Amino acid sequence: MTSSSVSVSTGSAPSPSLGRARELLAEFPVVDGHNDLPWALREQVRYDLGARDIAADQSAHLHTDLARLRAGGVGAQYWSVYVRSDLPGAVTATLEQIDCVRQLIDRHPADLRAALTAADMEAARAEGRIASLMGAEGGHSIDNSLAALRGLYALGVRYMTLTHNDNIAWADSATDVPTVGGLSAFGREVVREMNREGMLVDLSHVAATTMRDALDTSVAPVVFSHSSARAVCDHPRNIPDDVLERLPANGGVAMVTFVPKFVLQAAVDWTAAADENMRAHGFHHLDTTAEGMKIHRVFEESNPRPVATVATVADHLDHMREVAGIDHLGIGGDYDGTAFTPHGLDDVSGYPNLVAELLDRGWSSADLAKLTWQNSVRVLGAAEDVARDLKARRGPSNATLEQLDG
Amino acid sequence: MAELQDELHLTSEVGELDPPAVWPESEPALLGTPGPAGTAGGDPLERAHAFLAAHPVADGYSGLPWVLRHLPWYDLELGETSVDTDVPRMRAGHVGAVFCSLHLPEGLAGDRAVGATLEQLDLVKTVVRAHPEGLRMTYSASGLTDASNCGRVAVVLGPAGAGALGDSLGILRALHTLGLRVLTLAGASWASEAGLTRFGEEVLREMNRLGVLADLSGTSDATTGRALAVSKAPVVFTRSAARALRPHPVNLPDDVLIELGAAKGLCLVPLTAEQAGPSVRDVADHLDHIRVLAGAECVGLSGTYDSGAAHPQDLSDASCYPRLIAELISRGWSESDLALLTWGNVQRVLRGADFTARAAQQRREPSSAKIAELDG
Repeated sequence: MTSSSVSVSTGSAPSPSLGRARELLAEFPVVDGHNDLPWALREQVRYDLGARDIAADQSAHLHTDLARLRAGGVGAQYWSVYVRSDLPGAVTATLEQIDCVRQLIDRHPADLRAALTAADMEAARAEGRIASLMGAEGGHSIDNSLAALRGLYALGVRYMTLTHNDNIAWADSATDVPTVGGLSAFGREVVREMNREGMLVDLSHVAATTMRDALDTSVAPVVFSHSSARAVCDHPRNIPDDVLERLPANGGVAMVTFVPKFVLQAAVDWTAAADENMRAHGFHHLDTTAEGMKIHRVFEESNPRPVATVATVADHLDHMREVAGIDHLGIGGDYDGTAFTPHGLDDVSGYPNLVAELLDRGWSSADLAKLTWQNSVRVLGAAEDVARDLKARRGPSNATLEQLDG
Repeated sequence: MAELQDELHLTSEVGELDPPAVWPESEPALLGTPGPAGTAGGDPLERAHAFLAAHPVADGYSGLPWVLRHLPWYDLELGETSVDTDVPRMRAGHVGAVFCSLHLPEGLAGDRAVGATLEQLDLVKTVVRAHPEGLRMTYSASGLTDASNCGRVAVVLGPAGAGALGDSLGILRALHTLGLRVLTLAGASWASEAGLTRFGEEVLREMNRLGVLADLSGTSDATTGRALAVSKAPVVFTRSAARALRPHPVNLPDDVLIELGAAKGLCLVPLTAEQAGPSVRDVADHLDHIRVLAGAECVGLSGTYDSGAAHPQDLSDASCYPRLIAELISRGWSESDLALLTWGNVQRVLRGADFTARAAQQRREPSSAKIAELDG
């Protein structure tokens, strides 16, 4: 598929490296760590997949459709099966999200391929299809049950973010008041059981204390499915340098996210004010429905929104490369999970602009292949290897929160 | 040289398993007997053992998962006295397949029911994985035969209660993916005393599309009637005897049995004192009655062990099936009817569900119906 029918807005004149970027992506496409399309489909049309057919142009409603994924050079996507942590019935809702991803894969067999392993990802790349993986966003999705965790794995979920924006009983979130102080004993058991199953431990959204506890516990590489560098932009959702420094020893991958309110300091401040405004109007501050966006637009008229750019994201990558090394970087756009996106990375067709920017900054094609494809495939394969080893040595754990945390 | 061969021979004997279930020495003699099994000579119990070796029992309901959930430690391989079912006794009873119930106790509803069902599912899979010599997970009619040919007891997931769906077809699909093959249409707002609601019928159609059997034991009369009309695949009653012989709300009246026979469903008779009666003869009476009314293709067995129910005398655990078969042999059941009773009918309904699913998947997309839209 060519990109001629899809406009890629870069703001200024397209970088001369853009053609080269597309060539690189044709060989080593993007593995994106986080896309909230399933949640957007749930909220917008309650899983009526015909009403938001991603085979057609959905740029009016979504960041994601098949043509733009192709234009963006996406070769593998972790679809987030996120559910809200402030509502009851998280397990139920997570199963519905998983069903949604399966239906998407079944509807578009020519473009999407279900992927459960690193080998599946490579097979999809060889066939020119987009490997479709799943990641659960928040430990609330297993309702303190290791059996439920194994159920999610059996259904194809390959990473679980330990928390979302709120603390859970066994782990602290980055955006909540510390209560556990990292991972509890049960939280560490969850990490060990994830290692045993072969599910990647995702440390986006968690508090720095939780990151360190998880790195102490996990014997498999960890991922940050969508987090940037705290040294570049001081937001709790980003990764502090001391944690980035531990990635080479762990073998994990930090997937840089584009969300302006995490990557650009001016946007961090603006967002704090905008969230306050949403809450004042009685909306959840992450609401992206039509009514919610209307309130947002009114606020925006009087308070111009600071705009992040491709360069902002590249600054994060440059820093993360300094600290963690080229073997421990990836990309996690968080498309359809955020109201705003940076200029030039407006939707899933924007990745070539980021690659072009990095080429201009002197990144080699070998570096970029690691960033876009190789590192992320490697960690999933490593998690499988660890699981094979652990399964031979111990059985499934049925520990409970009550037993371990009293 | 000869000594070497002797040694080799001995070594292979050390590793020998129990006499394999599929290769009985007496089989040729049995198959050579024409006419009703009862007319031939020999001790009925011996003949029952020989018959079952060739046609094992597919047991339609075991409450084992919920019992194991509360045991701190168990070993089904060597034998476990705190339950009615373990591998040695299943081998003694010639059990070739068992349906593991995921029913939950009263009081678990909504998201807790979904979570508890996932835990029960995980438990069954863990138990099966821990007993690779005795048990094997199976998900289809062919898998059942395959496991039995390999000398393993085939374990099928289900029935689960309707509450396990959390009122969502997405969860039905997820549970099917995890292996669920039977769902009881009772215990949810859409399958109540008043019968199936519009959403309930959509659940049943989606079950047909996926290949999940509908279990109607314990459902209301209205639900039973509607399910028999709507379902394209055979329906089963996993624990129902004849109400004409023993009044019990879960037992089936004669008109339903006749209807079931016409629809080629399957009624699995529970070996419980409450529903069937206190003796082996009582159970056989129910089987006779249902065979007459619904037909030999529509009757099967449901051990109902480890479900908390009291069992008839001499049928106290999973090893006792030969006693029941011996009784039926002496009552003159033909070998072909017995083969349908113990194994063939369960095979048929599972295959029917697979067949219906394959056909329906050509025509229907996954249903995105919501309970709020249909039952509003």
